Amino acid sequence: MGRIQLENVTKSFGETQVIPPLNLTIEDGEFAVFVGPSGCGKSTLLRLIAGLEDTTSGNISIDGEDMTQVSPSKRGLAMVFQTYALYPHMTVRKNIAFPMRMAGLSDAEQEKRIMAAAESLNLVDYLDRKPAQLSGGQRQRVAIGRAIVRDPKAFLFDEPLSNLDAALRVGMRIEITEMHARMGTTMIYVTHDQVEAMTMADKIVVLQAGVIEQVGSPLDLYRNPRNLFVAGFIGSPKMNLIEGSEATKHNATTIGIRPEHIDVVPDSGTWSGKVGVAEHLGSDTFFHVHETGLTETLTVRAVGDVALKHGDTIHLSPRLEELHRFDAQGMRLS
Amino acid sequence: MSDRRLPRLLQSPAVVLLLVWMLIPLGMTLYFSFIRYVLNNLRRPEWTTPSLSNWRGLGNYEFVWGNKDFLLAIQNSLLIVCSILFLTVILGILIAVLINKAFAGRGIVRVLLISPFFVMPAVNAVLWINMILDPVLGLQGLAVAGINELIDGLRTMPLLGGFFNLWPELTPISFRATQTSAYAVIIMVTWQWTPFAVLIFMTSLQSEDQQQKEAAILDGAGAWNQFRFLTLPHLARPIAIVVMIQAIFHLSLYAEIEIVSRGNGNKNLPYLIGEFANNNIGAASATGIYAVILANIVAIFLLRMIGKTLME
Repeated sequence: MGRIQLENVTKSFGETQVIPPLNLTIEDGEFAVFVGPSGCGKSTLLRLIAGLEDTTSGNISIDGEDMTQVSPSKRGLAMVFQTYALYPHMTVRKNIAFPMRMAGLSDAEQEKRIMAAAESLNLVDYLDRKPAQLSGGQRQRVAIGRAIVRDPKAFLFDEPLSNLDAALRVGMRIEITEMHARMGTTMIYVTHDQVEAMTMADKIVVLQAGVIEQVGSPLDLYRNPRNLFVAGFIGSPKMNLIEGSEATKHNATTIGIRPEHIDVVPDSGTWSGKVGVAEHLGSDTFFHVHETGLTETLTVRAVGDVALKHGDTIHLSPRLEELHRFDAQGMRLS
Repeated sequence: MSDRRLPRLLQSPAVVLLLVWMLIPLGMTLYFSFIRYVLNNLRRPEWTTPSLSNWRGLGNYEFVWGNKDFLLAIQNSLLIVCSILFLTVILGILIAVLINKAFAGRGIVRVLLISPFFVMPAVNAVLWINMILDPVLGLQGLAVAGINELIDGLRTMPLLGGFFNLWPELTPISFRATQTSAYAVIIMVTWQWTPFAVLIFMTSLQSEDQQQKEAAILDGAGAWNQFRFLTLPHLARPIAIVVMIQAIFHLSLYAEIEIVSRGNGNKNLPYLIGEFANNNIGAASATGIYAVILANIVAIFLLRMIGKTLME
């Protein structure tokens, strides 16, 4: 069980309100990702749920029970920190055992859970090492192990992968997703990386300046971004946003078209321009097109290797059914 | 090879200076400790100049060992050093943890806490023994007199007077006496050196990882367990530093002992050396070598103990 509900939660540091009244429900067993640019309040929100920060007003309830005033350790949540926050002078075994030791579990039970966690996280050979003797990925796994043994109602992850190198990050991303599938426990995951959000989440919560911009499944956000911010934030490379006469043609202030929804055509496309940088990845080619008369740089994705190089003229044809239209307030027009 | 010769040549003045600085006094002490060498002796004037012909072997060491004050001096040295270390480390940790929290006027409190460290040792001793610990004129004498007066007044109370009659009259402690003068030294040096411990522990506490604390809070660790399992291990190294530096300083305490009791029943090794050095340089040197050995034993023992108990 682990249904987390936030009702009219606000947080102020002194005079500045970092989170205006906010409502959010995370269902039991859901993998929710809080995503947004740095300073958008996503970590603060997570810390409010964990109880490491006090709410200024509003209620936080877990499984229908009001937890707003309950101490962090009694909320039944486990958290994995960005810096891992392992206890440096304790061995891996003692690190993992620490929450159970604090809870006063029997030695036999502790040992059983340590071994179970160590086996599922490939840590058996490292149990007697100190954190300083481990690599970044191993430390991360110890931190997760320390969370697992508590058998929490929900896991909270605070940018857990941002200190890892790119290759490890992809590996850990998959491990955490698999762990969620296996355990079925509620997880809340904070990241500024929209790729992590898209690949891992059941539900993405896009935040900006403490305000929830949109909540939905990854593909829902990709297909139907509610406003310009979400449109620009979700998807990689970024959606092309075009203003001016081209937008007026479609009865909108701004139109958006994703790079993968623009086709490269041999000649006489709707748009044309000069190729700037061409990124050849083999499977895809990304063109940065200039002098289109639409926007400074138009990003286009072509499948496979397309033999166009710097300075060539390129003809483009957008798929009109994939066009997103936004009004003057930046809200989506249906 | 020439590319290594130049740096060595440039280093050599400093190295030579340090070697001379250390080796000559140590060598001379060793040399004097094996010969008969006194400053004044009418019957044997040849002993007043250091010379190998006055070789005494281990005689000086045996003489010092047999001296009635020697074991007392070692015992006293250990008592004073260990007590001061124990008290300053405990007080230092408590005060450092206390003032690590933000409160109004913290800056002023910190400066005030450090100030005893700037008092000269001799001044410190004079102030404590005359103004605070003196059984008649010091704060101690006044406090004891005041309490006695208060209890005396209570004895005349109608009902409870009988109860207070059972209370003894307090007598002030004379800290210049043979039995207590070591405690006076311990009190005044602890007062002076606790700020040093506080200063070191305070800086260390500020570098403590806050996320570890938050993780511990979520893991269900209360204030005591956070202190026991996070703060104390974090302080292990600074504690070792404080213990080592203080052990070096306090094994050579002299001014306080001179001022409190002139060594009356309260000699430590440096004071004994000073007494021997009034005439018998050979015995003083032998005591000095004993002191070097003792200092090394104490240092090794203390560091091992701290390492074992705190680093788990």
